[in-house]
Amino acid sequence: MIQTNREVTLRQIAFMYLFISLSPILRQIPTALAAEAGRSGYLSPIWSTIAIFFITAIVMVLIKTFPGLNIYEIMVQLVGKFLAKIIIFFYLLWILLSITAKINIYALTLQFTLMPQTRSDFFMIILILLVYYALLRGIKTIFRFSEFTLGPILFLITVLFICALTRLRTDYLLPVSTIKLPSTILASKNVIAVGGNIIIVLFFADKFGITITKNQRNKLWSGALVFSVLTFVITIFTFGITGADLTANLAFPFYITVKSISFFNIFERFEVLVTIICVLSDFISICILSWLLLRCFQWLFNLKQYQFLAVPLTIIIFYLTYYVSSTQFEFNFLYRYIILNLNLIFQYIIPILLTIVCLLRRKKIQKQF
Amino acid sequence: MIYVFALTIGYTFIKRKEQLLSSKRNLVLFLFLSIIGLVLGIIYIINPYLPSLTLYLEKYMK
Repeated sequence: MIQTNREVTLRQIAFMYLFISLSPILRQIPTALAAEAGRSGYLSPIWSTIAIFFITAIVMVLIKTFPGLNIYEIMVQLVGKFLAKIIIFFYLLWILLSITAKINIYALTLQFTLMPQTRSDFFMIILILLVYYALLRGIKTIFRFSEFTLGPILFLITVLFICALTRLRTDYLLPVSTIKLPSTILASKNVIAVGGNIIIVLFFADKFGITITKNQRNKLWSGALVFSVLTFVITIFTFGITGADLTANLAFPFYITVKSISFFNIFERFEVLVTIICVLSDFISICILSWLLLRCFQWLFNLKQYQFLAVPLTIIIFYLTYYVSSTQFEFNFLYRYIILNLNLIFQYIIPILLTIVCLLRRKKIQKQF
Repeated sequence: MIYVFALTIGYTFIKRKEQLLSSKRNLVLFLFLSIIGLVLGIIYIINPYLPSLTLYLEKYMK
């Protein structure tokens, strides 16, 4: 059923990383930055680049020190099997919460934009079937899909940006006050929490093979750079057209921004494409998170096969989605106060602690590898 | 939906009988997760308007 014995490359992971980051970049980041840092919020992606590059470097160090090992095997080497299992258990809970939140926002996005009359159950069932079918084809298919689709999406965003240049209002962006700078630094945690998705690389690290070329490593760095540039461009775009005050109060400000754009007064209604981009990004995120969830179960219970868990986990996730959050307001609260902070713990603090242990035990590790 | 899920569990059990019965751990994990899923479903059927976890957290945190 779910094929796992195929190799993936760092290039594919970089594409997938950008693809799954698209929906939070378009949907959550502009609102959060506008709410926390006001008109200067578009500077936050610049500060967050430091943290994103730092975590990329940490991922690289861990991959280089433990060639061919995934995050669980690295943890076993560093902190022992018992602690590794406890950490994996918490990762499992985090992934479970992330999947339910993703499914929820996916359904809410479709209701908010294209199909306000349709019940969320319908979207969820269709999504679950699609995810099941995608996983049936193997994880490689999901990576390939991201690889082929990301190019046209980035091209579309570039075209939209060019079309919107004349509509950008400098009075919405300038002047930037120095008093606001500390708040832009604090608000950058919203970008950092999305950019930290790069640690997914560690979950797939056993699929790359032992040797990773410099070219492959550069692809991951490029992925982190493109993420920062994309976040910066989208935020400027949204703030410059919609204004920070309105952006702060909208659930999906980029959608509203794109509504006012036309391609030389010939083509318009690009907002439908933006919804499709978000839906595709959510779909890929849910596929990847589902695969990671199954892998966490495999590591936690030492399972040789884990395909039989797909159905019971699907049922749990389906109903948990209703119990975790069900409205846009609830999701906003959940994302802002819970998921964001959990992301920082699981994407930054745990990998940093692992790297510190790795550096402390460097000599012992070097003998093994 | 719960009936569809219950049938799917039954179908998975029959289809993957060898895999599930080959190890006690597989069987226990499958049954445990299936029961959790079905219980969540039954609770949802009994009361679909139960306040969500986020609502509780919101009350507690504010």
